[in-house]
Parts: sequence; C-alpha cells; structure tokens
Amino acid sequence: MRYTPRHPKSNVNVTPTSHIREFFVLAGGLLSLIVVIYLVLGLTVDLIVPHISIDLENKMGVHFFQSMGGKDVDSQRGYYVQSLIDDLRERCAKLPYRFKIHVRKASTVNAMALPGGHVIVFTGLLDKMSSENELAFVLAHEMGHYAHRDHLRAGGRAVVLMTFSALLFGADSSVSKILSHTLNITELSFSRKQETMADEFALETINCAYGHVGGATDFFEKIPKEQDTGKIGHYFASHPETRSRISHLNNIIRSRGFNLAKRKPLPKAIWNFIP
Amino acid sequence: MIITNIETVPGKTIVEHFGLVSGSTIRAKHIGRDIMASLKNLVGGELKGYTQLLQESRNQAIDRMIEHARQMGANAIVNVRFSTSSVAQGAAELYVYGTAVRVQ
Amino acid sequence: MYDLLIFLALIAVGYSVGTLLEKRHYHSIHKREKAFFYLPAVTIKSVDYPEEKIRSAELVYGSVVISIDCFKKILAGLRNIFGGTIKSYESLIDRARREALLRMKEMAGDATVIVNVRIETSTIARKANKKGVGCLEAIAYGTALTLEK
Repeated sequence: MRYTPRHPKSNVNVTPTSHIREFFVLAGGLLSLIVVIYLVLGLTVDLIVPHISIDLENKMGVHFFQSMGGKDVDSQRGYYVQSLIDDLRERCAKLPYRFKIHVRKASTVNAMALPGGHVIVFTGLLDKMSSENELAFVLAHEMGHYAHRDHLRAGGRAVVLMTFSALLFGADSSVSKILSHTLNITELSFSRKQETMADEFALETINCAYGHVGGATDFFEKIPKEQDTGKIGHYFASHPETRSRISHLNNIIRSRGFNLAKRKPLPKAIWNFIP
Repeated sequence: MIITNIETVPGKTIVEHFGLVSGSTIRAKHIGRDIMASLKNLVGGELKGYTQLLQESRNQAIDRMIEHARQMGANAIVNVRFSTSSVAQGAAELYVYGTAVRVQ
Repeated sequence: MYDLLIFLALIAVGYSVGTLLEKRHYHSIHKREKAFFYLPAVTIKSVDYPEEKIRSAELVYGSVVISIDCFKKILAGLRNIFGGTIKSYESLIDRARREALLRMKEMAGDATVIVNVRIETSTIARKANKKGVGCLEAIAYGTALTLEK
C-alpha cells in the first residue's frame, strides 16, 4: 500500500457563505417574528385587561409592589399628597381603586402608577411643584392611567415579552439585551397615545375639582428649562414631547372653554419642612 | 464509495491510500422543536425531532467526508469513526473521519 | 442607548478582528499542511510495513482550544432559533481539528507515517461553555512509525 499525497480542491467542511448577509436575513426574520408576536400579544392583553377584576388586580398589585422594594420617606408631604388624591377621587374621579401614595427618595421628576392603586411619587417631583393645582394635575394624570387601565396593559405586555426573551436566549445573553432595547423603544411609542389620553382625563378632573384648569401646563413648561439629562431624559422619552403636549392641552382648554384662574399655593408649613 | 469501519474492504485489496479524510457538520432545530422536546421530556419517550436532527447531521457529515475522499481520488474509506463536540447548546455536532483508500 | 452602541461596537470589532485572525490562522494551517505533505496520518492500524523495518513506534498527540468571535456567536444564536446548519461555527470546528492534527504531526517530526489516529473533543471548558464561552477543544493522537533508512 503506497501513500499518494493529495490536496483536496476545496474545503468540504466549511460552506462558502457571507456571514454578514446571513446575519441580516436572520436578524430581519427575528425582528419581524417579534413584531408579529408583539402585535398578537398586544391584542390579547387588550382583550384580557378589561376582564381583570379590581380585586384580582389588588392582589397582584401587592406582590408587584413588594417585589419593587424600597422605603417610603417624607411622611409629611406624603400625607398631604394622599389627602389630595383622596379628595380628587371622592369629588371628581370615582375610580374603583383605593389609592395609596408612596413617596420615594429619588431626584427623578416622575410619578408611577403601579397595579393595585399604588402610586409612587418621587421627591424630585415634589420639589419641583409650585402650586396645588400643578400637583393635582400630575396626580390626576396618574389616575387617568388607572381609569384606562394603562398600567396593566404596559405592565402585562412588558412582563410577557421579557419572559419570552429570557426563555429564548437566557436572561443575560447579549441577544436578550439587544432585544430588550428594541422592545423598549416600541413599548414607549405605543404608550404615547395613552399619555395623551391620561392628560385629557387629568384636565377634566382638575377642572371639576377647582372649577378652572390654571396650573395644568405648569409642570410641562418647567421641564425644558431643566438640563438634567439621564433620569429626566427617561421621562421625556416616555411622555410625548412636552411642547406638543402643552399645545394639545391648550387646544382642549380653548375648545372646551375651560377657565384659567389663580393657582392655589401649596401649604408652606408642610412643603418647607425638611425632615 | 465503499465505507467500512474495519481495517480493510473484504474481498478487495487496498493498493493506495491518501491519508485522513473528514466531514463535519453542526446543525440545530428551530426553537419550536426545542420547546416541544422540553415538554416531551416530562413524560419521556423518543424525541423524534432530535432523532431526525442527528440523522440529518450524520448524513451531511458522511456526505462531506465522501466528497473529500472523492476530491482526493479515492474509491473507499476504511476505519471510519464518529466523534462529537459541544460548542453550541441545542445543536448536533458530528464529525466523521477515516482513511481514504483506493481498492481493487 | 449607550449600551446598544457599545454592543454594536463589540460586534463590529468581533467581526473584523475575528475575520482577520481566522484568515491568518488558515494561512498558517495551509503553510504547515504543505510542510507535512508527505507525512500521512491514517485511521487504519497497519500499513503493511515489514515489522523488522520499523525502527520506532511512539505515541504522538496534539491539542488546541479555539474560541469563536462574538459576531459569529450571535449569528449562531440566531440560527439556533430558526434551525438549520450553523455555518458560522463550521470554520471553528474545521480549524480546531486541523490545528490539532498539525500539532500531532509536528510532534511526530521525521516519522514515516502516523497510524490509528483518533480525533476527539475534550471537555475542559464545558463548565465555561455553560457560562457562554463558545470554544472548542480538539485533541488528535496516534502512533508515529519511523522506518529504517
């Protein structure tokens, strides 16, 4: 038996292919798959949400809230905000929730509506407030989310999607990371409509509570002056551009003939009290 | 192409050899199959999807080895062995190699 | 957003550097394969040399661990979802096994033939593999026979 050395003409074990092209084809396929799943998910969530009873939501809310962790601070202002939201609910927006205000220490100028009527207000937001009307508008805006049950929609979809991507790729894989980025962007653009609806609800509510809508746009007019990127940037992103929001509110005020009267000041004793 | 996993091809004599030839493949099933397999795992039994995956992978690896041998000018491959690896999870990685020979 | 940019930058670096390294490795493999052109490695046990002509028989082996670049890893992750041949890993497997064979041949030096060759995958990095390190270890071994001049 003799040995005849020969080189094979081609490498049979490696398919000659363009990896870049394959990457774009696959990534495009995955993206369209996700869009389809997202739309289907959105439809199912929209179908299910009206059927979730308040009772069930309250139960879920407790778990959700506990998993958030954190500690309530600033009870002085907390009580005041609590009485304000209770008053709004009592007189003007009869929602089937028992709202509970949680003041959290953070420079974030934001408030959050969690399932079960837990409203988180950050001290950063409270520090920015200049009148009761302005604060009432922000609270009424969050109540608007409850009225339309946006908090369940956004939460439901996000939770299901996160579970899905973690299931597919593992929680901390790089594919998951890039996915959660793209998902976030779509999630935000979806919630803009909901923010506008909540704004309209808030306008009605404070008009009912105070007989005028003075101070409604104060909060938004302040934001552009703040140059705090980072956390405030997130607020910007998830809420429609402030300018278009202000003009939208002004349009409604004009068309509905709402009055603009003097704003009610915040109770100085509570607001200037440093705990 | 004659393929054996013994030293010779019975009834024929090896006149010439060309060294090692090999074929490798790495294949995966789509995610739906993976999910079905993990469900099937609850009750046990044959995972048809994965059986099929292994079959496909093996056939592709052998086809590649044959193509390699053909390019060398061989008409038989003797003493063939299979080997596996584990780079990617949920994928079948098969490697098959043998000695390319010419028999008469 | 910054995370996304860093991620994309990593992919770009992974792709360009990874492709470059792979090209270099293949270049070196081709060069050395030419150098060992006349040293056959076969899986059969006997190459019908008369026993008295064999001067020495010695175990030779070569092993290598090669890792994948992050671009190809992501590509493989995508391919895993849709199913099919994971083309991006093919070159890794090919390189690892050819490199192991070459190192075995380098160890054999001026032997005439290497018989009963086996190629296997070792498992040192299996723990690491679970943590997402995509790498392959190949080991090749056989018996190098040196004939009398």
